[in-house]
Amino acid sequence: VPGSTLEAIAGAEDRLVRAGAALRQRPRERTLESLAAVFDAWSEPGGRWQRRLVAELPAATGFSAPNVEEGLARALASWNGEALREWVTREIGESSTAVGFDQTRVLLAGSIPMPTMLSLVAPLILHSPVLAKTASRDPVTAHVFEESLAAVDPELAAALEIVSFPGDDSDGAAAFVSAGCVVATGSDETVADVARLVAPGTRLVTYGHRLSIAVLGPLALSPESLSETARLLALDVALWDQLGCLSPVAVYCASDTGATRAVDVGQVSEALALALEEVELRLPRGELPTATAAATRAERDGAQMRCAAGEDVSVRGDDRLRWTVIREPDAHWRAAPLHRFLRVHPVHGREALLAAVAPLSRHLAAVALDGFDNLANLDGGPQSLSDDLRQIGASRICRPGTLQTPPIGWHHDAEPLLTPLVRD
Amino acid sequence: VYEGPVDVSLGSGGDPHRADLDAKVLAWMSEDEWKLDDERFGALAVELFRYQVDACEPYRRFCDARGATASSVEDWRDIPAVPTGAFKEVALRTFPKELERATFRTSGTSDTRRGELHLDTLAIYEASLLPTIRRFLFPELSPGERTRIVVLAPTPGEAPDSSLSHMFGLAVETLGSRDSAFVWQDGELRLPLLREVLASAREPLALCGTAFAFVHLLEALDSLDESHTLPSGSRIMETGGFKGRGRQMPRDELYAWIERRLGVPGARVVNQYGMTELGSQFYDSVLVEPEAPRRKLGPPWVRVRLIDPEHGRDAGPGQPGVVTVYDLANTGSIAAIATADLGVAVPAGDEPGFDVLGREPGAEERGCSIAADLMLGV
Repeated sequence: VPGSTLEAIAGAEDRLVRAGAALRQRPRERTLESLAAVFDAWSEPGGRWQRRLVAELPAATGFSAPNVEEGLARALASWNGEALREWVTREIGESSTAVGFDQTRVLLAGSIPMPTMLSLVAPLILHSPVLAKTASRDPVTAHVFEESLAAVDPELAAALEIVSFPGDDSDGAAAFVSAGCVVATGSDETVADVARLVAPGTRLVTYGHRLSIAVLGPLALSPESLSETARLLALDVALWDQLGCLSPVAVYCASDTGATRAVDVGQVSEALALALEEVELRLPRGELPTATAAATRAERDGAQMRCAAGEDVSVRGDDRLRWTVIREPDAHWRAAPLHRFLRVHPVHGREALLAAVAPLSRHLAAVALDGFDNLANLDGGPQSLSDDLRQIGASRICRPGTLQTPPIGWHHDAEPLLTPLVRD
Repeated sequence: VYEGPVDVSLGSGGDPHRADLDAKVLAWMSEDEWKLDDERFGALAVELFRYQVDACEPYRRFCDARGATASSVEDWRDIPAVPTGAFKEVALRTFPKELERATFRTSGTSDTRRGELHLDTLAIYEASLLPTIRRFLFPELSPGERTRIVVLAPTPGEAPDSSLSHMFGLAVETLGSRDSAFVWQDGELRLPLLREVLASAREPLALCGTAFAFVHLLEALDSLDESHTLPSGSRIMETGGFKGRGRQMPRDELYAWIERRLGVPGARVVNQYGMTELGSQFYDSVLVEPEAPRRKLGPPWVRVRLIDPEHGRDAGPGQPGVVTVYDLANTGSIAAIATADLGVAVPAGDEPGFDVLGREPGAEERGCSIAADLMLGV
């Protein structure tokens, strides 16, 4: 219906003005108490809200139900009320009087629920009413979260309004971003589009797309450890079908330059292939867009052609493109179609490793790091490898198998979530 | 001005098998009447495959890994297709390197790998190109007749490794009237000259160039608030996409913009679908079959399959598939090529075609990760 988006936004805006007035009268502690109760409910394994998403998210997003179930259970396990309070205290202090804008507009993106939940809750903590636009690939999470909020605190839930309209509705988008504060997540292109739309003086908080990698040393790749390392990494890859910013897209197998403990990248690839095949049985890959299938097929065929031309490359994967492992001959970065597509690179020495990772710096989120006697021992060096990787841009260093379980409050851009929303 | 002529001598290097194949392919290309002869195509394609697996070792190994050998393949549909990306990695030629006469390269910057098509002869390349452009872009031209062609792209002299410039150069040399011109110099559109051409045109002309060059022209005309109405019978040929240009535009929007600023109706705008790795090209059908659905058509010595990438079989009706081309003009490299594009079949009478699908405008990512080729431009 022409105008319906504009009417929906205007109606929500009016309701939020009233809800905002009530919200600002509340002590923050009351709000935190409610939000803590909501997060406690969400973190309950197999609880009501996780079950709702397991039931509704697969059809909307294309993820398989077991993947959603496992992903939620793992990610939300530690996202309870206590963790929420710790996050708020860490960012703005226990008795902060910081407040957000009269309204915050949140453009949701992607189809992974946890970033959506954080994006909705952050302005509410600052007593800023939220008007959110659902992501086209996830029309579910925001509404379920709103429902969970209403079940605990209807007054607080009234300060959250959700609208949906097509991404190419320019009038709707222009009306949507007319507020004091706008939060946008998405590709560089999306973020630039939003930046063009907002009025001068608007607080624009943007979060870009990111990716993650794994860096493994000899200890993680030894015959005793390899299958377990591969199992853990395969889980990191399989959860959310490798579409999250915390999903590793490349594995660097690092040995020192003396190659006294050179790793066999072929064996690593084989172990990862087996692990991905195994995890597929438990957490089946979801929908594969035709364009991704085409890109995967092209990357596989391209690698096979390189192999045919004499390069030390191998391709492992199943016929249905449910997973792919390509053993690369070097640390040269190559295209990553995602959806469980992994490249395994050998790299010799700290300098080579850091040089290989450096081009990713602007987009690097996390590194799964394991397998070194201590983190400083790859050819020695003035600081630990994790410090080096942080310096390059990684905002999170963790063990394989834990990439998809960041602490609440961590954001893939390594920026705080609350302070950018505080009105000066 | 085009520098021609070019060396079009045959380049079989004394290999009688290749010479025989080239002769058969050239004979087909030189026929006045086009006939979709499936039997002839199938026989030649399989013969060419057998030659290419024998003459190009990387391709033989690639095919071996798929269980496709010279003796096992009897149907052209079973010929393994090489992805276009492989042309960035491996020199795919069926002749010794020392016999190379020309190399065409895909566009790209100095820090990105570029695909390369190695040629030991331009004869087949040009024998395929000319009748195809004549049929689909200049269908009304009588033999020997010429028309004005204005090119928004570098000359072959300025871009010697560009297959597109080579094609435009040959078109201007062979079909262009004396007032044809390249309105491009030193990497830039010669806007003042082009505006003069547009303003003074009294006879129909053909404006040819990349889609991005047209966007550049149209933006300039917008900023000047200047519109033209090119003489009736004029046509536009645009080619190429927008990848890496920072701006995506659906084709119908581009064509509406062209109509607004240049006065050429969308029905006379022809998209050419070609790529460096292919010796032949496809064109929109709009000038040869204005009443039928717009679709890509090519010459009879080329076949296209749209292959479902997940299952590896022909895509169903209306379903997208990888545009996979079997081009007999590629005697010196590899004839079967899987492009990076998705297409969908467009049924229409006796000559079905296909359409190339772009990224859906406004399509959103499912995750917060990013396909790394987009991010790093690899």
